Amino acid sequence: MIETRLGEFEEVILLLTGILGEEAYSFKIAEEFETQTKRSVSIGAVHSTLNRLEEKGFLTSKVGNATAERGGRRKRIYTITAYGKRALESARDLRMSLYNQFPAFAGKMDFGFSV
Amino acid sequence: MNNNSIIPPRLPRWLLLRLLRDDLAEEVEGDLEEKFLHELKHRSAFRARLNYWYQVIQYLRPFAIRKNKATLLYYDMYQNYFRISWRSLLRQKMYSAIKIGGLAIGVAACFLISLYVKDELSYDKHLVRDNGPYRLVVQAEIDANKTERSVDFPAPAAAALKADFPEVDQAGRYLSSPLFDAYENEIRRSDRNENQHEGGFVYFDQELLELLNLRVIAGNPKYALTNPKSIVITRRKAEKYFPGEDAVGKTFIINNDDKKLYTVGAVIEDFPANSHLQFDFLMTLRGVEFWPGEQTWWMASNYQIYLTLKPGTDIEKAAENIKRGFIEKYYNPALLASGAVGFEKILNSAKFELQPMDEVYLDGSVHDSLPHGDIRFIWLFAAIAGFIVIIACINFINLSTARSANRAKEVGLRKTVGSLRSHLIRQFLTESFLFSLLAIVSGVILSWLLLPYFNVLASKSLTFPWSAWWLVPGMIVSALVIGLLAGLYPAFYLSSFNPVNVLKGNVSKGSKSSATRSMLVVFQFTTSIILIISTVVIYRQMSYILNKKLGFEKEHVLLVQGAHTLGSNVASFKSELLGLSQVERVSVSDYLPIRGSKRDGNTFHNEGMEKIERGVTTQKWVVDPDYIKTLGMKMVEGRDFNPDMISDSSSIIINQTMANQLNLADPVGKVIQNWRKYTIIGVVEDFHFESMKENIGPVCFVAGTSPSVILVKTKGDNMRETIEAISGVWARFSPNQAIRFNFLDERYAATYADVERTGRIFTTFAVLAIIVACLGLFALSAFMVEQRSKEISIRMVLGASMNTVFRLLTQNFVILVLISFAMAAPVAWILMNKWLQDFVYKTNLSWDIFLISGACALVIALVTVSYQAVRAARANPVTNLRSE
Repeated sequence: MIETRLGEFEEVILLLTGILGEEAYSFKIAEEFETQTKRSVSIGAVHSTLNRLEEKGFLTSKVGNATAERGGRRKRIYTITAYGKRALESARDLRMSLYNQFPAFAGKMDFGFSV
Repeated sequence: MNNNSIIPPRLPRWLLLRLLRDDLAEEVEGDLEEKFLHELKHRSAFRARLNYWYQVIQYLRPFAIRKNKATLLYYDMYQNYFRISWRSLLRQKMYSAIKIGGLAIGVAACFLISLYVKDELSYDKHLVRDNGPYRLVVQAEIDANKTERSVDFPAPAAAALKADFPEVDQAGRYLSSPLFDAYENEIRRSDRNENQHEGGFVYFDQELLELLNLRVIAGNPKYALTNPKSIVITRRKAEKYFPGEDAVGKTFIINNDDKKLYTVGAVIEDFPANSHLQFDFLMTLRGVEFWPGEQTWWMASNYQIYLTLKPGTDIEKAAENIKRGFIEKYYNPALLASGAVGFEKILNSAKFELQPMDEVYLDGSVHDSLPHGDIRFIWLFAAIAGFIVIIACINFINLSTARSANRAKEVGLRKTVGSLRSHLIRQFLTESFLFSLLAIVSGVILSWLLLPYFNVLASKSLTFPWSAWWLVPGMIVSALVIGLLAGLYPAFYLSSFNPVNVLKGNVSKGSKSSATRSMLVVFQFTTSIILIISTVVIYRQMSYILNKKLGFEKEHVLLVQGAHTLGSNVASFKSELLGLSQVERVSVSDYLPIRGSKRDGNTFHNEGMEKIERGVTTQKWVVDPDYIKTLGMKMVEGRDFNPDMISDSSSIIINQTMANQLNLADPVGKVIQNWRKYTIIGVVEDFHFESMKENIGPVCFVAGTSPSVILVKTKGDNMRETIEAISGVWARFSPNQAIRFNFLDERYAATYADVERTGRIFTTFAVLAIIVACLGLFALSAFMVEQRSKEISIRMVLGASMNTVFRLLTQNFVILVLISFAMAAPVAWILMNKWLQDFVYKTNLSWDIFLISGACALVIALVTVSYQAVRAARANPVTNLRSE
């Protein structure tokens, strides 16, 4: 039985894959991760996570076309699956439900000093 | 930007391709190149290359790495080797147990010895710093051909060191002689009445406390011993006498003497067990003067001196300086003033040494009263431990090659299906690693179980080094080494079989290598016999020491200790004891003919000769008139002291050696002198009062009181009743102090505890070596019987008697043991002769020692072998012959 819950890093990588669409391959995802989160990451770490997400069935991949800046080498494009989307949704739902139960954020929007 | 910098660096790229799965190569390489170019745009070429390295290393992840097919294959093969090894281990339970058990015993012995050696070598390492401390040692030629090394110096020497020699940083003294009420005393808190007997008393300089860097845990370290009558005690004594209180500032009374009221100045940490300094009560030397002018007197040496040097000082030069300075400025003037003669040669031959702290314990050649380790024994023990391991390895080799027939088919088959010889070697080495690993793990566990007994045996307090960083790596490394040592020969031997011969059934059955096997058995037994002989010699010497006529009677003499606290009541206590029916004689004297008792060195001259000849350095013992009779010593000339003669206060009795050294042919009636005159009234027969390692020295008795020990010669028939009676008298005289007594003969035996201990350790080793060797012999004979079972059966069917069969099977081994004996005897003779040279009074290395040891080894070997031989001889021939 493969672990199907998403870790924080996995969740972000999965989202970035969805965001980048046709441009979602290891280097680009790592690049996007660094610009969006301001955290540095190695391509190897991203690749390893993509590989794991693919094993879990959240992603599929296909070999894409080559570009000149890669020395004519092809790249592996990752696409999010329906199962992956559902995993993202349930992760978000869980989080929202938790936020709603937390009194400081729940429902009322006054962040005042009403204590 | 040159062309070179726009392509990624070669080395990491090559590495990447080597390590990465082939199917990932294209995309990863592409990604990394894109990254590289991207970096190149924003940063320097160097940073880009560095980043490329980083990315490559980050790809070393399990999912991305190439799986090596060859490694997998090796892994499977090793798994197979282990399985086969395990199966053969289980199939041959007895042989495996002997192989592993023997090796485990060897490892346990080796491990314990290593702990012992490590501890012996660790003495005082904690005290060593860059510039000391050093112990001041002087070496001088006392007589022609007699060099002595001593650590005794005069009282003012430490102050002189600091005043005269700029290279000396700190210098301090201690004094531990019982002559001045150090060593052991009765002590009590000043607010209690009961005296307790304690050892470990010493007079100490404040500066010594500082230069030794002793850790003060309560009180001010700067002023711990600066006040007169202050005392520093160790943590354990503080906890004993002042539990839960602050000991600093509290007071002690020593020996019931109100004048000896000591105030605790500080509490220090206990001295560690591996230190040559073992004290508990450090009394200050501030304000101490043992006789008028003692602190400035250069002609009496009672102090040990330790010093530190200023940084960058040459030790040898400093020692030479100190010697020259001392002789010129102090010793020569002092000698001149006293008028003593004959010391020039001694002073000229003198050599000073500054001995580092960590060398003190292992240097037994210095005359001090400290316990010493003997470096020769340390290495000897280490060598023996090594031998035991080797013997165990030999068992392993012997059994592996002897049982080769069982593995021959396996080897043949493996070779036939394509195994190379190197694979087989690898297999058998794997097997021996497995065995040695099992042996080492069980050996270490065994040594852990045996450690308490070993501690008793060696008088140590070693702890098992569970938390030591080297334990596990050490075990693994020794498993590899022992595995290789024991497995190499069998591996090469077994893997050399020719498959065709083996599978046809022409197995050599290991007989070819029987010469090698015999040699190994001889080696085992040679070692064992040497150990047996050594053990017997050591015990002979011990019994020689214990049974030698000493010149006094040590049996049935009870020594009541600590009687000086009775004060003026000693005389009436003595007469009360004499009233007891069980008591024969009583004498009062602290000076006992036992090593480690009170001593008082003096120089005596014939009358009027003090400025003409050097005189005799002798012991002067203060005894009461009953001393000689109580100890059963023999007068050879003159008379004993007479309590009724008042003139006997200036009479003296000397021993034969002293008469000789004074050149007195007819000593009785002659007058001799140290700082006062005595008339010789008698000569007592020489008796032993120091170690058997030295000649009997000169000693003389003068009448007087030295009241801390009372010697009670009892009838010896009902000891318990006698002790009760004496205790009863004691309790009436001294209700606040429990009686403390021991026996002269036990004290005497205790001074040879080191010999006794050596003997016990040797016994243990000898037994271990023999057990391991016999395990091997047992297995070997079992194997031989098994191999020759058909031959034996046929012989029996044809009418051979049990005797013949028995002889057939054992005579080989008997010959081997005899050869071993022939080799062991000379070696043991040389070794033990060397050991006995330490003693002046010693037993002979007589032939019967060798005979007994040889017979012993032979009998042990025969018993071991005969179990199998008898079983073979008694077996029903039919069972063995039926199958063909």
